[in-house]
Amino acid sequence: MVSFLLRRTGVMLLTALCLTFIVFFLTNLEPNLEKLTKSEGNMRMTDVQVQSWLEKNGYRQPLFKRYGEWLGVAPGWTRTDEDGKVTGRCIKRATTAEEAPKFCGIMQGDWGFSLVFKNPVFGIIKEKLALTGKLMLCVLIVMVPAALIIGVIAGMREGSKTDRVLSTFSILTTSTPEYVSGVIFIIVFASKFGGLRWFKGTAATAMDGITFENFTLPVMALALYGVGYIARMTRASMAEVMTEQYIRTARLKGLSFPAIILKHALRNALIAPFTVIVLQIPYLLTGVVIIETLFNYKGFGWTLVAAVGNNDIELLLACSVVAVFVVLLTQLISDIGYVFLNPRIRVS
Amino acid sequence: MKFRKKNGQELPSHVTEMAESVKNSDGMSRREFLAIASIFGASTTTAYSMLGMIAPSVAHADGHGKKQGGTVRYQTEVRALKDPRTYDWSQIANFARGWQEYLVEYNNDATFTGKLVESWDVSEDAKTYTLNVRKGVKWNNGDDFTAEDVARNIEGWCDKSVEGNSMAGRFATLIDEDSGKAIEGAIEVVDSHTVKLNLPASDISLIAGMADYPAAIVHKDADHTVENPIGTGPYLPESLKVGEKAVLVRNTDHTWWNEGNGAWVDRVEFIDYGTEPASHFAAMESDEVDVNYSSEGAEIIELFDSIDGLDRNDVVTAATIVIRPNQQAEVDGKKPYADKKVRQALAMAVDPAVCLELGIGGLGVTAENHHVGPMHPDYAELPAQKVDPAGAKALMEEAGMADYEHELLSIDAGYRKDTTDAVADMLRKAGIKVKRTVLPGSTFWNDWAKYPYSSTNWNHRPLGVQVLGLAYRSGEAWNEAGFENADFDNALKEALAIADVDKRREKVKICEEIMQDEGVIVQPYWRTLTNYTKSDLGGANHHITFEFRPQDLYWKA
Amino acid sequence: MDRLTASEIIIRMLIQFNPVWIGLAVILTASWLFRKKLGLYGKLFASPVGVVGLVLVLFWVLTAIFADLIATMDPLTQISGMKNKKPGWPVSGAEGEWYLLGGDNLARDVFSRMVKGSQLVIAIAPAATIFAFMVGITLGLPAGFYGGKLDTGLSFLANLVLAFPVILLFFLLVTPEIRSTGVPLALAGVLFLFPIIFFVMLFYSRYREQPGRLGVLLVITLVLGLWAYSGLAFNKDPFGVFYMDPNLLNIFVSVVFVNSPTVFRIVRGLTIDIKTRDYVAAAQTRGERPWYIMLWEVLPNARGPLIVDFCLRIGYTTILLGTLGFFGLGVTPESPDWGMTINEGRKLLAVYPHPALPPTIALMTLVLGLNLLADGLREESLKD
Repeated sequence: MVSFLLRRTGVMLLTALCLTFIVFFLTNLEPNLEKLTKSEGNMRMTDVQVQSWLEKNGYRQPLFKRYGEWLGVAPGWTRTDEDGKVTGRCIKRATTAEEAPKFCGIMQGDWGFSLVFKNPVFGIIKEKLALTGKLMLCVLIVMVPAALIIGVIAGMREGSKTDRVLSTFSILTTSTPEYVSGVIFIIVFASKFGGLRWFKGTAATAMDGITFENFTLPVMALALYGVGYIARMTRASMAEVMTEQYIRTARLKGLSFPAIILKHALRNALIAPFTVIVLQIPYLLTGVVIIETLFNYKGFGWTLVAAVGNNDIELLLACSVVAVFVVLLTQLISDIGYVFLNPRIRVS
Repeated sequence: MKFRKKNGQELPSHVTEMAESVKNSDGMSRREFLAIASIFGASTTTAYSMLGMIAPSVAHADGHGKKQGGTVRYQTEVRALKDPRTYDWSQIANFARGWQEYLVEYNNDATFTGKLVESWDVSEDAKTYTLNVRKGVKWNNGDDFTAEDVARNIEGWCDKSVEGNSMAGRFATLIDEDSGKAIEGAIEVVDSHTVKLNLPASDISLIAGMADYPAAIVHKDADHTVENPIGTGPYLPESLKVGEKAVLVRNTDHTWWNEGNGAWVDRVEFIDYGTEPASHFAAMESDEVDVNYSSEGAEIIELFDSIDGLDRNDVVTAATIVIRPNQQAEVDGKKPYADKKVRQALAMAVDPAVCLELGIGGLGVTAENHHVGPMHPDYAELPAQKVDPAGAKALMEEAGMADYEHELLSIDAGYRKDTTDAVADMLRKAGIKVKRTVLPGSTFWNDWAKYPYSSTNWNHRPLGVQVLGLAYRSGEAWNEAGFENADFDNALKEALAIADVDKRREKVKICEEIMQDEGVIVQPYWRTLTNYTKSDLGGANHHITFEFRPQDLYWKA
Repeated sequence: MDRLTASEIIIRMLIQFNPVWIGLAVILTASWLFRKKLGLYGKLFASPVGVVGLVLVLFWVLTAIFADLIATMDPLTQISGMKNKKPGWPVSGAEGEWYLLGGDNLARDVFSRMVKGSQLVIAIAPAATIFAFMVGITLGLPAGFYGGKLDTGLSFLANLVLAFPVILLFFLLVTPEIRSTGVPLALAGVLFLFPIIFFVMLFYSRYREQPGRLGVLLVITLVLGLWAYSGLAFNKDPFGVFYMDPNLLNIFVSVVFVNSPTVFRIVRGLTIDIKTRDYVAAAQTRGERPWYIMLWEVLPNARGPLIVDFCLRIGYTTILLGTLGFFGLGVTPESPDWGMTINEGRKLLAVYPHPALPPTIALMTLVLGLNLLADGLREESLKD
């Protein structure tokens, strides 16, 4: 088990390293640097000004050197201007050139400074993740039970009318991406044109405090797309369990149908959906980006869009580190969970 | 009757003559007059009284008292602070306006009001400016505000070495080409509260430049952060979260020079709802804001109109869109738009009225493809242009470009995209091949002035010659049309040196004619800007150049 | 001229879709008659869900084919006075013409845009999916078959791409400025090679013993393949037949790039499973070459799950293209592509729902059709 975990951690780190380098490479392409410069200086800057800005701010060193700086394995750049003032990567507003550390990358715990938000990246990511965490939590609370119930009921009696209706519903929800359902929900539930005005069409106020009014629509829109997939997996798993020998035995023993379902079928039927649910979490990210943009909820997804729009390199890198770890961590959890839940499998 | 400037001197004779011509309503509109008179130093009250009218005063116009205190929530983009000279968004300035003030302010009725400069005087040849700095103004760190501060700021504006300093363009007359700094002796501190600008050439646009949003006056120790907000204004930033929210609170430790005459509310919240009009509407509808930045598009305005308890505020402006070929641009080794016939054809095929209808749902007035409009004092009316798709096609064939496919670029959303789409369609109907390309806002501006054929929005500027100088003079950084014409440059140069607006108009007319004849741009309409405020909120009406002044806000008693 | 009533609109739309009805009738009757000889496709007719899915998918495919006959207007033409007009509005200045589903905010015909938009979706999504399958299969078969270092390496690469949040990848890859850097071209250069490799290997492994036949097939594959390759990936087609708009290429490549690793994983898993079967062992004892076994023994036996996944993946790709449209990264402006149109219409949805609804419903029904079809196919293939 320990060597399994170690190996997985090793692969995780290697993956993260490769991916951040790809992100680093892509964000440091010439046109992206120009974009960054213009949002820092002035939208209508001349090319000469752009070049001089890039030169002054350390963007003209070799790519690997700068990636190393970000990692914290290469010393941060310094530059002395005509007046003798020293500027550099590690020289912050509060510190002088002498006090500043030589290295300042993520290995030293310094995640860099966001050019868009004018704040340290670490703080931004922490805050935004908390906001998105709330959203995800609500989504999971709605999505998972709903999907499991639909799946179990549908799979209980495969081929019945209930099964057909619920299965079609599941397929329908997987055919309705968030940008469609979000838009339809706003019309129906939040505008005077839909007639019903139960909820708010923006979730901007939800950042200060979640209410039923401002959070229902984004949560619903996100949950809907995921429900169908998990429900179908649960249904398949349930249907398979229902054909097993021990269920038939229980039936022959004369146990009531609800008792069979609750005591015997459920436990075994829920192993497969567990993996699916956990693996579904990273896929929610795309939805989160759409929904947060649509509903003006300024969490992680929204930050990602803002960072891309301005080519905020260090923030983007941090975002991708987080995203990569979410993906890999969920994979790990699903693997370990699968082993624990399923007595027939042992990690070799 | 003699009319005097704010400093007691007599106003130039051509200004008094103008007043007569307005009163007799021949030629000049009231608006145009107010702009000119105030540029030459007449106070708003004087300018109005020259017309035999009483100046509308902010305090009494609406018949309401003003409540002290309260919070105002304002829907706007929230952007990061930076050096004011490099401001590229009015929104940055609007927040900083809480503590950063301006020498002069520009008003919706086209007048200029002295702020940190109490009054000014421009010589008749527009070569000497005397600025009388307001007395009794203090920085919020306790320092006195003096002529030295004004001189230092103007010097800063003239520093071309600061990347992205757009004030350098506005004060180009004062800049020494070689050093890229202000000309030695051009900025002269006469005494503790008088600054004199000695220009090598006439320039009538400096006062207007001082009122523009990047001209915020900063302290010598300012570092442009929220943590260190040194300024002269009555508010202080409490917080700033880019893209989310920024808050101004009244600065209780500082005596504002204009105490009692503004800064009524205690707290102003700037809340960001993204760039989509629909979410601005949603914010207003669910009572999350009291005033919005600007409502764009006929459909959105229709929506806002349907909300109860809101006032709609319209202002006619010279904000516009320009669809221009770049004459220098090379496409596949050729310069397709260097040929005048091609440009003329592109202009002839486009009906401004259709652009107005499809582009912005009729919220504006049609324009005449030369970027000077009736709202500019120096506008000269030209005979109406003909829309002639068949002629356009014939011209295009004559130029040997009948089969050429034009790539027309624009930003990816809103009226700019819609108008550009409408233009593309009209060109197609005329038999000219067009391919449309849109770019997201984040990348569009990277090369905005270099695209071979694209559309750009231009904000309102007080004087017609200002825009012409900024955008169509040979070699200007913002000359996106790549237009180089010696006759035009000469006419403009002369126009910029003529203080008398009637005489200047003759020169502007030449410029306008050249613009039309050369087919430099298609400029189909002038926009009417609109925003909405809660009915009991005052001082937040849409400003002609998108200013939002926290000092002016108040809740009606 | 008067506005059409709701029933008149519906009748006129039904009439416009006539070519589709005829096409559907012909295809379905023929398929029904010959269902016994059509293998998995024929068995589909036993599943009601599958048939509904098939009809929905066929409807849109036929609409795309006959789009020029069905559309009443040009999708790009703006007619003054028709801005945001309600469904059934008579065209100003033209007798006997209506905007069946109204006009959008640029006064274009919503109905015709929806119909024409189907062409883009029906062309791009399956094409991109096919390319992704070519890449996934060409790499997945050997990875699963040989295992070992090759498998470890390829799986690591696949997981690397999969660990990348799709949306971030798109934000970084599908931007106008990245085109000038050549990154999409490089990707296209690599990814578009796989179909050629696939077919070369396919023919080589089978006809190795028959040089004559092999030669002909290889020459055809290479000539056609490299010709298309030069045009699609590098826009260097000497005859100008194969061409892809740079922006479209960018999107296409990115979509293929994100989809390939998943296909790779599926194929690899299936291969590991199938290579333990008796017929593979039999082929090995016969002394068949590995590539022959992979392409002509393993692959045909993996077709069931792969076809199902193919249907699902087209639906997923359609949604993905819509997502790109949502973030303004879509195909081209003005183009009637559904995702873009939904995004455009969304902004004014609260005032004018009619421009956004038709493409929304179109997208939903197509994806629904694909999902139902996949479901039907899965059910039937499991019955084997």
